[in-house]
Amino acid sequence: MPKVAVIKFPGTNCDEDVSSAFKEVEPGLDVRIVWHKEFRVGDGWDAVVVPGGFSYGDWLRAGAIAARSRAIEELRDSAGKGVPVLGICNGFQVLVEAGLLRGAFLPNEHGRFVCRWVKLKVERARGPWLSATGDGEELDMPVAHGEGRYYVDEGEYLEVVGRVPIIRYAPGYNPNGSAYDIAGIGNYDGSVLGIMPHPERAANHVLTPRGFRPGGAAIFRSIAESLKRGW
Amino acid sequence: MLGEVSTVGTYRVAVTISYKRGLKDPEAETIHRDLILRYGYSSVKEVRVGKHLTLLVEAPSPEEAARLVREMCDKLMIYNPVIHEVQVSVVA
Amino acid sequence: MFEAQWSEHCSYKSSRLLLKLLPTHGKGVLVGPGKDAPAVEVFPGIAVVFKIESHNHPSAVEPYNGAATGIGGIVRDILTLGAKPVALLDMLYLGDPSDPRARWLIKGIVRGISDYGNRIGVPTVAGDTWFDRSFNAQPLVNVACVGIVRTEKLVRGSPRPGDVIVIAGNPTGRDGLLGSSFASKPLGENPSQEIGAVQVADPLMEKLLIDSIQELADLGLVEYVKDLGGGGLTTAVVETAADFGLGAELSLDRLHLRTELTPLEMLVSESQERMMLVIRKDKLERAIEILRKYDIPYSVLGVFDSSGWIKAYYLGRKVAEVPARELAKPRSVIRQSKPPTDRIAITAPIRDLPLPPLNEALKSLISSPNVARRRWIYEQYDHEVGARTVIKPGYGDAAVLRIGPGDRRGIAVKGDANPRYTSIDPFRGAANSVAECYRNLVAVGSTPIAFVDEPNAGNPEKPEHFWYFEMMVKGIAWMAEELNVPVVGGKVSFYNEDHTGRQVKPTATIVGVGALEDVDKAVTMDIKYVGSQLILVGTTFPELGATEYVARVHNIEAGEVPTPRPSLELKHSEYVLELVRRGIAVSVHDVGLGGLAVALAEMCLLGDVGADIDIEAVPCRGCLRVDEVLFSETQARYIVEISPGKLEEALKIAESRNVAASVIGTTTSKKVITIRSGGRQLLEVPLDTLKPLYEGSLEELLG
Repeated sequence: MPKVAVIKFPGTNCDEDVSSAFKEVEPGLDVRIVWHKEFRVGDGWDAVVVPGGFSYGDWLRAGAIAARSRAIEELRDSAGKGVPVLGICNGFQVLVEAGLLRGAFLPNEHGRFVCRWVKLKVERARGPWLSATGDGEELDMPVAHGEGRYYVDEGEYLEVVGRVPIIRYAPGYNPNGSAYDIAGIGNYDGSVLGIMPHPERAANHVLTPRGFRPGGAAIFRSIAESLKRGW
Repeated sequence: MLGEVSTVGTYRVAVTISYKRGLKDPEAETIHRDLILRYGYSSVKEVRVGKHLTLLVEAPSPEEAARLVREMCDKLMIYNPVIHEVQVSVVA
Repeated sequence: MFEAQWSEHCSYKSSRLLLKLLPTHGKGVLVGPGKDAPAVEVFPGIAVVFKIESHNHPSAVEPYNGAATGIGGIVRDILTLGAKPVALLDMLYLGDPSDPRARWLIKGIVRGISDYGNRIGVPTVAGDTWFDRSFNAQPLVNVACVGIVRTEKLVRGSPRPGDVIVIAGNPTGRDGLLGSSFASKPLGENPSQEIGAVQVADPLMEKLLIDSIQELADLGLVEYVKDLGGGGLTTAVVETAADFGLGAELSLDRLHLRTELTPLEMLVSESQERMMLVIRKDKLERAIEILRKYDIPYSVLGVFDSSGWIKAYYLGRKVAEVPARELAKPRSVIRQSKPPTDRIAITAPIRDLPLPPLNEALKSLISSPNVARRRWIYEQYDHEVGARTVIKPGYGDAAVLRIGPGDRRGIAVKGDANPRYTSIDPFRGAANSVAECYRNLVAVGSTPIAFVDEPNAGNPEKPEHFWYFEMMVKGIAWMAEELNVPVVGGKVSFYNEDHTGRQVKPTATIVGVGALEDVDKAVTMDIKYVGSQLILVGTTFPELGATEYVARVHNIEAGEVPTPRPSLELKHSEYVLELVRRGIAVSVHDVGLGGLAVALAEMCLLGDVGADIDIEAVPCRGCLRVDEVLFSETQARYIVEISPGKLEEALKIAESRNVAASVIGTTTSKKVITIRSGGRQLLEVPLDTLKPLYEGSLEELLG
């Protein structure tokens, strides 16, 4: 059974949600919550998730302190080996601060925390985290963040657009002023993916409000099928 | 106009707001413990965190500029005197 | 030590006798009032632990940290039973946003709750918000926390002699010295001098405490857990010793500190995010391993013994020795109670109101800060963390959460109060607050199980203030008993007045929990279909007294508060629950502030569907005027959207239950709200006109 690690830092909130979403959607994976001090890349994880929350209280900058932890530095050093890594919300911020993904985060445009459901569009469904989706597919999920405004400068954006997986907020659904409506972005082969909205909160219909569909399930199905196929 | 001496200038006033000494500062403690000390910079003995504002103020003198800013901080609750201390200084 | 323990906040010396009137027993009550948090069994093997607390006084002085530390305290109380905190509710009674100080307080309070609740990973899913000038200088910040635990894992052990006392969490400091005494005095003239009373919140430490205590409880490593809240170390140790007939020996020099403190300061400091863990000696090492894993500072402070005395030592020298029993139980004080002299005048029935243009009246009500959509507030709260929130804020009369992943069972939670009612007629007002909470739980399809209450009143030493408190408690006790739902716990907040001695509007806050067998059957209030029939459950009476309508449109805050109707609440709730169970009701909304017209408008706005209503079909006994039908706040009423084809069944069930249920209209494809009297049109407002008022009013006021 493929093993998936969900790394937990002081202040991480969404580890249990991610773990149960996996169990509900893809029970064929061995998913474990691993305290950051106990995480070792050498333990043979087939995939790693850095979940959402407020690691280290989001003090200094969201994700800044966790990015300098031993666990993330080990993860960064082995990123070249192609182990799939997913960063959700605060996890995305951690991966960006650690240099595993390009860009930076700013406070939401209107200066407030925002928690609401949004519609997303997948552009370039490549890599293990999006294999069960298709180009142009609409996924619905909730966001919950105060520093979710993704920033990447024009030069870098032009270099990668069309060459990396990008998930955008559908027109009218950008909740924070993100550059180019970017809600998520990956590296070239898609093995590392960061996404601001929470797929684990959108993995079944019971939690999905009227007017939306549970778009998070596709992320969990993707990694399960990719690992089965031997990513 | 001829004969009139103008002393009005534009002054850059820096305002730093931080928690009063003795109050807990969780952000400062976390940065100190989980980032700075973790990386071995044990010579750093203390960290304090604050909010920084820079105001460009037109006033007849630097003292007057600083006085005005202090008055604003008090009247507009730019800081909360119950828990914060504020430092106001003219930078340029 | 005595001042900390005997202050009003800690020991209820003014209120204890009256609180004995509350009905606290019921089927399934596992832990009743008097302990850190009540626990009620909602499903076989599953208990809900919930509690309410106020942080009014600190929030008036430092709103951000005052509100934040309020959340911290109540979450820790839930942890004491080994329960997992799964929901927060905030009931905020705030000032007028056009007043600068009130506005500053409002923004700080909302941000404080948002920043703290979000960081600790407990969703804020429901609440109540009210704006009124009387709260300008002294807002009411009542927060509630709900936790879930398997009944066999409830931490209900008894500390024994030899058990070790461990203090875990933040190092103790000077902040908050004698904070509970602060809450037991009126607000001073110059709030900026009140520094000792406010503590800075640390949600990161709180989150670590939540995680570690869950793990300690799961592994059975703790016998007893107590929060170090009001009164600090003193209260925690003394109350525990008194409850179990023990004594204790403390070595204060072992306490982990942030700054140098004297032994006395150590005993009474109210530094936040600290808990007392009572651990059996042979489990101590394993427990400490868990604390170390989470990097939680701790100190082994002492042991319990059988002496009945609390002995505190500092570096070998005895610094305090008090008997456990005497400290914890001061004498009750009998307070004088006198109704205010203008009471008769203010409750006189209202007569001779001019009839306003009805379209304008509806627009005015929809844009009222007490009615308008609270999206600006609840979108600042992470209400989805935990993956349990089935009915989110803004969609239903109450929030609904599933027990856990894969579990179809769930709970509904809601908090309510009506300061206008209770300031005019505290008995009726408090009774109606209980009824409103009850209806909100029913409207989403849950069976109400238990309440907790928080009466907020003025100065108990003033007989005219204390009268309001007394009548509110009596109103709560009466209605809860009639509805057969126990009040399993609660808190009291006194001294809510400004420095001129004027009390705020007395407010009876009620938080309720209901149970649902299947969350898939939970019902929201947004209209689902075009062409469905709308039923009004209940009869309307001409009851414009103390309504939002007369306040907002006619500027009157007086009149007869609507009559509480407990037997109808029972009958109607059972009817509505049957409709929900059978899938006959597709949308349900209880009728509250603003009456029938506002309830209808809200359902239409949320569903983006129009409605055509004939008030001739609204049973109203004694109504002479149109506004009485549209805006009375008669109790025990609901509007229900009936599933297509099921109308006959709905009416038949109503008849068999002897419930007044009338078809008042239908939903329409035209996005307009039309209210007519037979063929004569009374009111017609397009949804597009109402929408910006409903959605944007709060943002305009506060943003």
